[in-house]
Amino acid sequence: MTPIHEPLSEEAAARLVMIAGLSATPFSISGGGTRSLLPAADGAEQLSTRGLNGIVAYNPAEMTMTARAGTPLEKVEAALAENRQMLAFEPVDLRGVLGSSGIPTIGGVFATNASGPRRFVAGAARDSLLGVRFVNGKGEIVKAGGRVMKNVTGLDLAKLLAGSHGSLALLTEVTFRVLPMPETAVTIVISGLNDAEATAAMATAMGLPVEVSGAAHLPESVRGRFAGGALPDGAATVLRLEGLAASVSVRAQKLADAMAGFGAVSQCDAGLTQRLWREIRDAAPYADGTSRPLWRVSVAPTAGQQLVAALRLETGVDAFYDWQGGLVWLRMESDPEAALLRRYIKAVGGGHATLLRARPDVLAATDIFQPQADAVAALQTAVKASFDPGGLFRSRMTG
Amino acid sequence: MQTNFTAEQLADPHVATSEKILRKCVHCGFCTATCPTYVTLGNELDSPRGRIYLIKDMLENGRPADAEVVTHIDRCLSCLACTTTCPSGVDYMHLVDHARMHIEETYRRPFWNRLTRNILAATLPYPSRFRLALKAAALGRPFAGFFKRFKAFEPIGAMLDLAPKTLPKASASSKPGTYDAAGERRGRVAILSGCAQPVLKPGINEATIRLLTRLGVEVVAPAGEVCCGSLVHHMGREAQALEAARRNVDVWLAEVEKGGLDAIIITASGCGTTIKDYGFMLRLDPVYAGKAARVSALAKDVTEYLATLDLPQQEAKGLTVAYHSACSMQHGQKITMAPKTLLKKAGFTVRDPAEGHLCCGSAGTYNILQPEISAKLKARKVKNIEATKPDLIATGNIGCITQIATGTAVPILHTVELLDWAYGGEKPVAISNLATKMPA
Amino acid sequence: MDQIAFLEPRPAVLSRRREIVADLLDLLPEGCLVHEPRELVPFETDAFVSYRRLPLAVALPETTQQVAAVLKYCHRYGVPVVPRGAGTSLAGGAIPQEDAVVIGLSKMAQILEVDFANRTATVQAGVTNLAISDAVSADGYFYAPDPSSQLACTIGGNIGMNSGGAHCLKYGVTTNNLLGVKLVLIDGTIVDLGGKALDAGGLDLLGVVCGGEGQLGIVTEATVRLVARPEGARPVLFGFDSSEEAGACVADVIGAGIIPVAIEFMDKPAIEICEAFAQAGYPMDVEALLIVEVEGSEAEMDAMLASIIEIAGRHGVKVVKECQSATEAALIWKGRKSAFGATGRIADYICMDGTVPLSQLPHVLRGTAEIVAKHGLRVANVFHAGDGNMHPLILFNANDPDDAARAEAAGNEILKLCVDAGGCLTGEHGVGIEKRDLMRHQYSEADLAQQMAVRAAFDPQWLLNPSKVFPLEGRPAA
Repeated sequence: MTPIHEPLSEEAAARLVMIAGLSATPFSISGGGTRSLLPAADGAEQLSTRGLNGIVAYNPAEMTMTARAGTPLEKVEAALAENRQMLAFEPVDLRGVLGSSGIPTIGGVFATNASGPRRFVAGAARDSLLGVRFVNGKGEIVKAGGRVMKNVTGLDLAKLLAGSHGSLALLTEVTFRVLPMPETAVTIVISGLNDAEATAAMATAMGLPVEVSGAAHLPESVRGRFAGGALPDGAATVLRLEGLAASVSVRAQKLADAMAGFGAVSQCDAGLTQRLWREIRDAAPYADGTSRPLWRVSVAPTAGQQLVAALRLETGVDAFYDWQGGLVWLRMESDPEAALLRRYIKAVGGGHATLLRARPDVLAATDIFQPQADAVAALQTAVKASFDPGGLFRSRMTG
Repeated sequence: MQTNFTAEQLADPHVATSEKILRKCVHCGFCTATCPTYVTLGNELDSPRGRIYLIKDMLENGRPADAEVVTHIDRCLSCLACTTTCPSGVDYMHLVDHARMHIEETYRRPFWNRLTRNILAATLPYPSRFRLALKAAALGRPFAGFFKRFKAFEPIGAMLDLAPKTLPKASASSKPGTYDAAGERRGRVAILSGCAQPVLKPGINEATIRLLTRLGVEVVAPAGEVCCGSLVHHMGREAQALEAARRNVDVWLAEVEKGGLDAIIITASGCGTTIKDYGFMLRLDPVYAGKAARVSALAKDVTEYLATLDLPQQEAKGLTVAYHSACSMQHGQKITMAPKTLLKKAGFTVRDPAEGHLCCGSAGTYNILQPEISAKLKARKVKNIEATKPDLIATGNIGCITQIATGTAVPILHTVELLDWAYGGEKPVAISNLATKMPA
Repeated sequence: MDQIAFLEPRPAVLSRRREIVADLLDLLPEGCLVHEPRELVPFETDAFVSYRRLPLAVALPETTQQVAAVLKYCHRYGVPVVPRGAGTSLAGGAIPQEDAVVIGLSKMAQILEVDFANRTATVQAGVTNLAISDAVSADGYFYAPDPSSQLACTIGGNIGMNSGGAHCLKYGVTTNNLLGVKLVLIDGTIVDLGGKALDAGGLDLLGVVCGGEGQLGIVTEATVRLVARPEGARPVLFGFDSSEEAGACVADVIGAGIIPVAIEFMDKPAIEICEAFAQAGYPMDVEALLIVEVEGSEAEMDAMLASIIEIAGRHGVKVVKECQSATEAALIWKGRKSAFGATGRIADYICMDGTVPLSQLPHVLRGTAEIVAKHGLRVANVFHAGDGNMHPLILFNANDPDDAARAEAAGNEILKLCVDAGGCLTGEHGVGIEKRDLMRHQYSEADLAQQMAVRAAFDPQWLLNPSKVFPLEGRPAA
């Protein structure tokens, strides 16, 4: 067992990092440990934010919250729900597919930029992040951004920290924007479309002035594993509408009319909608208790189905689509087929694939993050060094 | 923005006026976006903001104009799109007029450039000379390509290209006289006979006179009138321009004395912009300042005047008209709605081409002096017009008519020619083969 | 104004001026390099006209390769580079310096691709913000961020400053609508960051390039997100007897969970200025005006407006004026978006850009009035109230050095007030040269050092736009 450090204050964390720097002891940063499948780097000691717990400030009227990085996500969401507010980007909960038992933290959510179905219209976690405090690799406490919605004062370091997977610094505090919860939500279901037809239907829907806030396609192979099998037979292309009840019903009618030309249209009520989109968010069908390789692939919306179609000719894959077709959840039979997958991603116009799950030995041997072009990789290395010149924070993202 | 002029410099009334104009500019840059030359060349020096800065620098330092400044000022079309866009109310027109005067006074142009400009200034404003020149051009046309091979001769090539292949006969309407109102007289106006227009398209004023008299307006074409002076004014030849202005002021005011005038009707918006500016141009002339202001107040574009006559709605003609607003119309005189409203009332379907604020590249003698930029603007304009799939094009300025006609097969007419037809006149010859599609 | 220093020009560059010009002439096509001293004058400033510096030369490349060639050359010979879009920066972001080559993107103004199925447009950096919306509007889409200078400002400049605009309250600012860029690094390397796929593969370099004020590289192409245009949109005018009441009303609207597309604020001087230019029909007998725009179907707009009117009623709203036609709506926005320029009709001005938490709006409005009065000046307020982004326009006479100095001092005090109220120095205009020396008021040494280290990771020699953003003292040695 490697030692686990859980500093109880920002100052303590800074001290810890500064001292570790003297002996060049590397750290592997974790939040609630929900991604425990990823093995820590060799010789790295665990540095957890779990001790940095608590909501620092919450001002519902200004739609902003500040919380320490180790605050459980559940606590944040509960406080927001009391004021009928929410995180716009619907953070993903990967415990199901990873079979892990940790407690997601708000810092971990931002450090992994873990964004769900609403991401393609409302932005990712990084788009909600207004300000951060962190400890860099020199043990300095640094703040960036602030607590107002619009702020272009200096470099936007918060964006860099979001999605950096602990490779740059230890996040200690995050300030983020929240949104009012929609009064209600419904889902329009178009049944029986193949992947290409579904992609066209979703693109059409996104061009309508009805404010679709979720667009996913669940092929026949997975459809039955969603919402307890409550969706109509055949593949389901699902479109979510949210807002004031009066407005949602008007828009639902408009959308249903516009989609009638694509296939049989039905509608899910608010309750089923909530369940369905949580399951889409968390890739519920792949919470199958296995360690079969699971990829999260981001490509242009029209390229998602092209990618899957190409892969199907070469290997066994199971897939469904979110983000209008641009997010592909991809489960392989046994081998992750990283090289093949990345070749096809390039062929369909580029994007990136992240390997979330596989057998530990496979995870260790695979590039779990998309390799970057040389010049970009060099920039990334230089940026990493600007936060952490001693290379104290080990992460699979930057090495 | 900040300016640096000495009290001595400001004693020059032209400098004083320019200083006031410059002080209003906040350098926001909005004007660049709608400037045809900036959009075409992508260089701030060829934008209003760049030119304002060049002029400011030149005037503040009391410097004679140099080749660089002249290049960029010469490229200005004086379309005045910038003044429509400018939120600060910068009077670019009078600033660039001042700059052109300054150039004319302090800069000696290269020989060929000087010659071309002299020829234009000695020909265009005089209908008889212009007619003769066009006849000569017909003989020269085979050599247009030859001239265009040499930078210095490009303008000659451009001139030959623009000259019409056949010239209409000299029209009676360009001769002085009075045209009585049909029926009860409801008004009396003078009409500007013009210089180039009656040679190229005499039909425009003929249609205007027919239409106005039919509507009960007496039209007089006064004797002794000369070119409005716009052409030489834009070349910076101020003395020549003011002389023309004074003569016209005298002629028109004499006509006012004789029988009263409700308006001086102008059928070329380029001339209209200048005549409406007589008051400013002659502001420093104690004898003429007041008289010129009176004339400017009487000057009306023909559509502006027609809009006051409350014409009845006519049956739909099933014809789609792309309305091209001349820069002097929309930016110079800020007349935007009247021509379109009149055309719609006359039964035409009116379309606004995209980028309507951009100049067609005609701009007085610009298509002769700056043929390259002019050709690019023409192509862009024609593309936008043709995208509306029109049966015909209407506009209110002879320059635009000549320019656009050389780039498209769609017939182009003056707005008033269409109105004359819609209100009882003959169908214009240019569209005699266009079938009207009357609704069943 | 002369309070803000620029970097001392590098003698080694100045002394090689003729050689540099000759070399750049070789690298660029004819007509793409401005170098005659008199022709350089119009490039000496941008829309922050109080400060001026002549550049060494102005390159106007036509391709990404030409941008790369110029950068590679400047990198090799240690020549500073100042990128320029349309030169509309209100913070002096595009003001050059004597030893710098300006790289202007104005000749790169092509829309390269519009992809409706993926809701993206790929454009060259010199395309204006409004041109993107114009190109897609016939198909029912638009590009959401709408800085008031959108008619003229370029997408490259928007990315440099992470520009906002009136409608960002709902749709986010540039960074939230930017999917990818083609970026030329200082050594001439061309990289692609992002693309039509969402999120970054590795570190979010795109996120830091956006708002990097041209110090991390030069963007030559951008892929942006398109949004379906709403069914309808309706601006409504709310007139109040005091600025404080209007400010409090804004906080209550947002606090009630209502997010209109835009909430814009104008005080009496601003109303008068805008009305004189646009004749939009703004009510003239009120002290403060809110333009609230709602969008959606008729039913949605009615429902949202009813709630807003009810809240406004609690704040003693004096006039509620719904606009009756699209023409009227266009005029209302024309007036608002021309506010800064229209101010030029009555005075010179400098425009502040601090953002404050909504609850602090009344306090900061009051404080602003006091500061400006103390300096014997006038102020017009016109700003994006929905997100607390304030734009006090301090009116002064640029031909009076004393007036100008007082305006500058008042501006600095106002920005400090914004920071002290929990806000920041700049919400959408950028730091540029204008707010550079105030950075220490908002950030600690460690905060600034970290930002500068990231900056140096992209440009170790500090050649890109070097006089801007970071205070001159305390910079790491290059």
